[in-house]
Amino acid sequence: MMPQTAIFTTLLVASLLFFCWSVYRRFSLLCYGQPEERLDQPARRLAEMFLYAFAQLRVLRKPFGLNHFVIFWSFMILALANGEFLVNGVFPSVSLALLPEGVHRALLLAFDAVSLLTLFAIAFSFIRRLVVKPPHLDSLYVKGRSPEAFLILSFIALLMLAYFGLHGSLIALGMEDPSAMPVSSLVGSWLSSHPDLIPALRNVSWWLHAFVLFAFICFLPHSKHMHILTAIPNCYFGALAWPATQPREKFEKGAVYGVGTVERFTWKDLFDSFTCTECGRCQAACPATITGKALNPRQIVHAIKTNLLENGDALREGRSGTLPLIGAEGEGTNTEDAIWSCTTCGACMEACPVLIEQMPKIVKMRRHLVETESRFPEELLNLFENMEQRSNPWGIAPGERAKWVSTLPVKPFVAGETEYLLYVGCAGSFDSRAKQVTVALATVLNAAGISWGILGKDEKCCGDSLRRLGNEYLFEKMALENVELFRQRGVTKVITLCPHCLTTLKNDYRQYGLELEVVHQSELIADLIRSGRIKLDKKDDSLGKIAYHDPCYLGRHNDIFEAPRTLVQAATGVAPVETERHGRNSFCCGAGGGRMWMEEFTGERVNHARVDELLAQKPDTICVACPYCMTMMEDGLKDKGAGQVRVRDVVEVLAEGLLRKNA
Amino acid sequence: MLVVVCVKQVPDTTQVQIDPVTNTLIREGVPFIVNPYDTHAVEEALRFKDRFGCRVAAISMGPPNAEATLRKALAQGVDRAVLLSDRSFGGADTLATSKVLAAAIEKLAKEEEVGVVICGKQTIDGDTAQVGPGIATRLNFSQLTLVDRVDELDLSGKKIRVSRKLEGRHEHVEAPLPVLLTVVRELNRPRYPTVAMRLESADAQVEVWDNKVLQLDVNGIGLKGSPTWVSRIFSPERAKGEMLGDGAHDPEGAAQLLIDKMLEKDLLAL
Amino acid sequence: MTDAVKPPKKPRGKARLLENKCIACGARCQSACPVDAIQMNDAGEPIIDASRCIGCVKCVKVCPVQAIEMAFTPEELRILQELAASSAGAELSEEDAEEAALKKKLAAYSGVWVFVEQTEGEAAKVSWELLGKGKELAQARKCPLCAVVMGEGVEKLCDQAFGYGAEKVYLMDAPVLRHYRTEAYQKSLCALVEKYKPEVILMGATGLGRDLAGVVATVLATGLTADCTGLSIDDKGNLMQTRPAFGGNIMATIVCDKFRPQMSTVRPHVMPMPEFDPQAKGEIVREPVPVVEDQVLVKVLDILMDGGGSKVDIAGAEFIVSGGRGMMAKENFAMLQELADVLGGVVGASRSAVDAGWMPPDRQVGQTGKTVRPKVYIACGISGAIQHLVGMQDSDVVIAINRDAEAPIFEVASYGIVGDLFKIIPALTNKLRALKAARSKA
Repeated sequence: MMPQTAIFTTLLVASLLFFCWSVYRRFSLLCYGQPEERLDQPARRLAEMFLYAFAQLRVLRKPFGLNHFVIFWSFMILALANGEFLVNGVFPSVSLALLPEGVHRALLLAFDAVSLLTLFAIAFSFIRRLVVKPPHLDSLYVKGRSPEAFLILSFIALLMLAYFGLHGSLIALGMEDPSAMPVSSLVGSWLSSHPDLIPALRNVSWWLHAFVLFAFICFLPHSKHMHILTAIPNCYFGALAWPATQPREKFEKGAVYGVGTVERFTWKDLFDSFTCTECGRCQAACPATITGKALNPRQIVHAIKTNLLENGDALREGRSGTLPLIGAEGEGTNTEDAIWSCTTCGACMEACPVLIEQMPKIVKMRRHLVETESRFPEELLNLFENMEQRSNPWGIAPGERAKWVSTLPVKPFVAGETEYLLYVGCAGSFDSRAKQVTVALATVLNAAGISWGILGKDEKCCGDSLRRLGNEYLFEKMALENVELFRQRGVTKVITLCPHCLTTLKNDYRQYGLELEVVHQSELIADLIRSGRIKLDKKDDSLGKIAYHDPCYLGRHNDIFEAPRTLVQAATGVAPVETERHGRNSFCCGAGGGRMWMEEFTGERVNHARVDELLAQKPDTICVACPYCMTMMEDGLKDKGAGQVRVRDVVEVLAEGLLRKNA
Repeated sequence: MLVVVCVKQVPDTTQVQIDPVTNTLIREGVPFIVNPYDTHAVEEALRFKDRFGCRVAAISMGPPNAEATLRKALAQGVDRAVLLSDRSFGGADTLATSKVLAAAIEKLAKEEEVGVVICGKQTIDGDTAQVGPGIATRLNFSQLTLVDRVDELDLSGKKIRVSRKLEGRHEHVEAPLPVLLTVVRELNRPRYPTVAMRLESADAQVEVWDNKVLQLDVNGIGLKGSPTWVSRIFSPERAKGEMLGDGAHDPEGAAQLLIDKMLEKDLLAL
Repeated sequence: MTDAVKPPKKPRGKARLLENKCIACGARCQSACPVDAIQMNDAGEPIIDASRCIGCVKCVKVCPVQAIEMAFTPEELRILQELAASSAGAELSEEDAEEAALKKKLAAYSGVWVFVEQTEGEAAKVSWELLGKGKELAQARKCPLCAVVMGEGVEKLCDQAFGYGAEKVYLMDAPVLRHYRTEAYQKSLCALVEKYKPEVILMGATGLGRDLAGVVATVLATGLTADCTGLSIDDKGNLMQTRPAFGGNIMATIVCDKFRPQMSTVRPHVMPMPEFDPQAKGEIVREPVPVVEDQVLVKVLDILMDGGGSKVDIAGAEFIVSGGRGMMAKENFAMLQELADVLGGVVGASRSAVDAGWMPPDRQVGQTGKTVRPKVYIACGISGAIQHLVGMQDSDVVIAINRDAEAPIFEVASYGIVGDLFKIIPALTNKLRALKAARSKA
C-alpha cells in the first residue's frame, strides 16, 4: 500500500467512525421522545417526499430558493463523484472509469458542469449573506449563528475549487481526457503555461479535497447541515392529518399532560428539531416575530434541539434534564411569553421547506402550562371560567344565544325536516357586530331557498380557543358534549359562520368519531352562485374598492381561498384587490390561537400591522370572512384613524347585493 | 391547625331571565355554580395551607347535588369536604343556616383545633352577608368582615392582622385567633385547578353529614328554626333603556334631563 | 273508599306543583311536609308523592310564590261544594291558644329604633334616611321613633337625630366605643334591646351595619332581613321587608311574625332623606356601656380614607366615569376626572383608550381588564364592543353618551344621550356642582 493510500484510509475510517458515533449519539436521543404514528400510508408519504424533498416545492416558493435547488441537486450528483473519490482513495484501482465509456463521459460532463454551477450558487449565497441581507437573516440571533453557515459554504466552495484544481492538473498532465470536462480543461489549459506548478497543485488539490471531505463528514452531524440527512425523511414523516388539529390527550390519574420537558415531545417533534436548517422562513412569516413579540418559531425549534442535546446525558441515565424547556430566557429554553404569543395562524408551517411543525409544539407546551402548572396570562382565567360555566368566551347567559333571531323567522333544526344546521357560534350569537353578519347570512340562505335551522339556546361553544390555548381538558369536555348533542339531534350537514367553528367541527371533532359535512358560509354561497340559485344582476358599487383579508383558519388551515372572493366578485362585479401577503401567505389579524382573549403588551399590535398592509391598497372597504378578523380589523382601523374605511363580511356584501336586486 | 371554608352552591343569578310576557323568572337551564365570593375564601385558605401547612376543610350546607361545589374545592386543593345535607336543614334563613354550619365547625374542631373560618362576603342568590357573622357569634370567634387583604397571620402569637374594605375607607384591624373572616373579591385571584387535581377530586370522598351526625334540635334548624320567611316574591319593575333629550342640538337640556332622572332614581350621593 | 257513603268528611285534596312557578327557594316545602311526601329534584324543585300527601296544606302555605296548590278529584270537588252549601265545614282552630300566647309575647315589644352609624364622629347618611322611613313605620304602629347613638364624644349626633325625626335617643358614650368593634357594639346594643324591647330595629346596609346586625340578630335569636329597599307595616302589625334577591332579578317580601325585634338592614340611597328640623328636641336616655376595654380583644390599628392615595380601585367603585376612543385625546380625560370628582367616583377606560396610552392599564374595564359593578357607570365615547360590555353590564345603572346613535352601548344603557360628549359632559359637571353647592348650603 502506498503511504498516501494508508494515510487516506486511516483518516477516512476515523472520520466515518466519528461520523457514525456522532450520528448515533444524536439520533439515539429520539428514542426518548414519545411514540407517534408517522409510517402509515407509505404511497402518500413517498409522494410528499418527492414533492417537497426532491422537487423542493416549498424551497422554490421564494426566488432565492432556486439557489438552494441548484446546490441540492449538485450535491446529489456530486455525491457520486465524491463517493468515487473516497473509494478510489482507498482502492486506487476502482474508479468510474470502469463503467462503459459513454456513461463515464456523461458523468464527467455532469460533474464538471454541476461543480461550476455550485460554485456560482455558493458565491450568490455569500453575497446574499454579506451584502443584500434579507431582514430575517439580519437578526441578532442569526448573526450569532452565521459563522457556521459561512464555514459550511466555504467547505463546499473549497471542494469545488479542489475538484477543478485536481482535474485541471490531471488534464494538463495528460492523464485525463479533456473532451468530457470543459471547465476542468479550461483550468488545465491555463495551467499548461505554468508547468512547474502542476504536480504540486495536483497533490494539494487532492489532499485539500480529501481533508475538506473528512472535515465535512465529521462536522456534519454537529451542525445545522444535519438537514442533509434528515430533511428527506422528515418530508416522508410529515403530517398527513390536518396539522392545525392537535392530538387528543388521555385523561387518567397519574398521566402527564402537555410538554414540560423535552422528552415529552414525540420522536417526530425531536426529529423536526434536528431537521431545522435555520433558514428563517418561519420567522419571516410569523406575525408575532414581525411585530416584535418574544416568539420566534425558529428559536422554538432550535431550543428544542439544544435542550435535547444538553439534557441528553441525563436522559440516557434515566434522569430528567437540568436545563429547563420552559423558563427564563436562555439557550435551549423557551420563555412563557414566547409560548403565549402564538396566534396559531400556521404561517410558520406553511413557510417551512422541510415540513417542520412549529405551531403544534407551542400548543403542546401551552398544555403543560395550563393543565399541569396552572400558569397562564391572567386574562385567560376569565375566559376559562366563562367557557366552563356558560359555554361562551364572554360569560353571557346562554339563554341569550338566540336573541339575534328576534328580527327574522328562524326555524329550529329538526333532523329530516331541515337540511342544514346553521351553527351560529358565539360571536354570531352575542357580538352585536357579528350578529349583523348572522342576520345577513340568514337572509341569503332564505333567498336561496336553503332549508336550515338552528339549535338556539342549546347551542354550545365549539371550544376552539380552549384547544389552541392548551386547555385540552376543558376542550374535551365541551367537544364530548357537542358531539353527543349533534348525534342526538341527527345533525349531518352544518353551515358555520366562523372559520374557527368550521375547523373545530370539521377537523377536531373527527377525533371523537363524529364525521360531519361542514361548510363555511362562503363555500356554500359560492356553490349557490355557481349553480345559479343565487343570481345578482345589478352590480353593487356602493362599497367602492374592496380589499380582501384571508382569515388564517379559513384559508391556510382549510384551503378556502376562492369562495369568499367569488362572493365579492358576484356582488360587485369586480374581484377584490389583494395585499402583498394573501392566500396561503396571508398575514394573521392577531386574534387566533386564543390571542383574542389576551392583551398584547409588547411590540406593535398584529392587527395594526395587518391594517397598515391593507390600507396600502387604498381600499374603501375591507372584506373579511371571520368574526375575529372583523373585530381586529375594525379596531385596527379606528386606532389608525381610518374609520372611514368600512369592514364587511363577504356575506354582508352579498346580502346587500341581493337587497339592491330586490329593491 | 384546621382552616374551615364555608362554601355555597348558588344558581348563576346572572343567567336568570325574566319572561317578558308573564314577567316571571325563567329558571330553566340556569346552572348552579360555586358562589363567586366563596372561591376567594377557598383561595385564601389554600394560601394559608401553602404558607403554614395547615389543613383546610370545606363545608357546605345544601341539597345532595351541592356535592359538585365541594368537589371543585377539592380540585383546588382543600383536604377535606363535608356536605351538610338533611331534609330538616331545608328552608333555612340565615339564622338557622349559621346554626348548622357552626355546629359542623364545632364537630370538626373536636378532631383538630380550628383557628380560622373563612366565608365569602355574601352569596349572590341571597346577598345577605349575615351567615358569616352568625357563625362567628355562635362559635364565639373574633369576627372580621369584608377583608380585602391579610397582612399577617401569626400562628404562634395567635393573632391576625387584616385590612377591611368599608365604604370610602379601609380599616386595619388586629384580632386574636380563632377568627372568622368574610372576604371580598379584591382579596386574591383564585387558582385554576390542574387536571391532575380535577381527576383526583373526581373520586375523592365528600363526607355527608345529616342531622343524625349533628344531632341538632329540629325546632332550631331549617324552616322551623327560621324566624323570617318569604311571604311573597314578585318581579321588580324593569327599567327599559331610555334615550334622553336631543344631545346633538341641546347638550345643556340633555344634561339637565339626565340629572333629573338621577335625582328621581336617587342615584346621586351628593 | 267506604268513607264516601258515610256522612261526608271534608276532602283535603293533594298538593300539586304548578308548572313554571317554582323558584327553587331552598326546599321550604320539603321541610314543611310532615309526612315526607316531597323530594327535591336536581333543579331544586319538589316532586310531590301524592300517595303520601295527607293534604295538610303546609307546603302550600310556606311556598313564597304560590307554586303549589291543592288538587281535588271531581268527586272531592262535588263533596266540597255540598259541604259549602250546607256550611257544615266550620272547623274550630286548635291553634287559637297558641296564637294568643304569641300575641302576648310580641306585645311586650314596642318602638321603632334606628341605629345611627358613625365613623370618627361623622354619621352615615343612611342613618338619617332611616329616621325618615322609621317615622312612617312608627306612625303606623303608633309607637315612638328612637335613635341609638354609640361612640365616644358623639352626643352632638343626638341633636341631629332629633332634627331628622327621632323622639328619643339612647346614647352610649364611652372610650371603648370610639372605633366600631363588633364585640363591643354587639354587647352594648343587645343590652339596650333586652332592656327596652323595641319591635323594629333598622340599620344601614353598610359594611358596619351588616357586620353588627348579623351578630345582634344571632345573639337575640330573632329575624334579620338584609339590604331592604322597601319597608311597610301589614294589617297584622308586622314589618313587611322587601328586598331584591337572585341578583336583583326578583323582589321578595319577608316577614318575621313570630319573633321580636324585627331587624332590617336597609340599602343606602333608597329611602328619601327627611327634612331636617333644627328646632326639634327630644329625650336623651344615657345608658352605661356594659363592656370594658380589657374584654375587647380586637384592635383597630388605623383607618385610611380612600381617594387620598394614588391607587384607584375601579373594581370596588360606586361611580365610574369611563372613556373610550371617542375621547379623542389624553388631555380630554381631565374632563371625565372632574365629573368623577363631583360624583365621588373614579375614571375608567376602554381597552382602546388604554392602548392609546390615555389611561393606565389598571383602569381598563372589560374582558381582558377589570369587571366592575358600580351603582352608576357612565360610558363616554365608548361604542360598546362586546369585550367592553362584559366588563360593565352588571352595573346597576348604565348611562351612555355617544355621538353615534347606533352604537351598541345604547343597547345596555339605562339612559342614553346621543350627542357631542365634549359639550354634554362639562354641562353635566357644572350642573352637578351647582346642585351640590345648593345642597350643602341647605
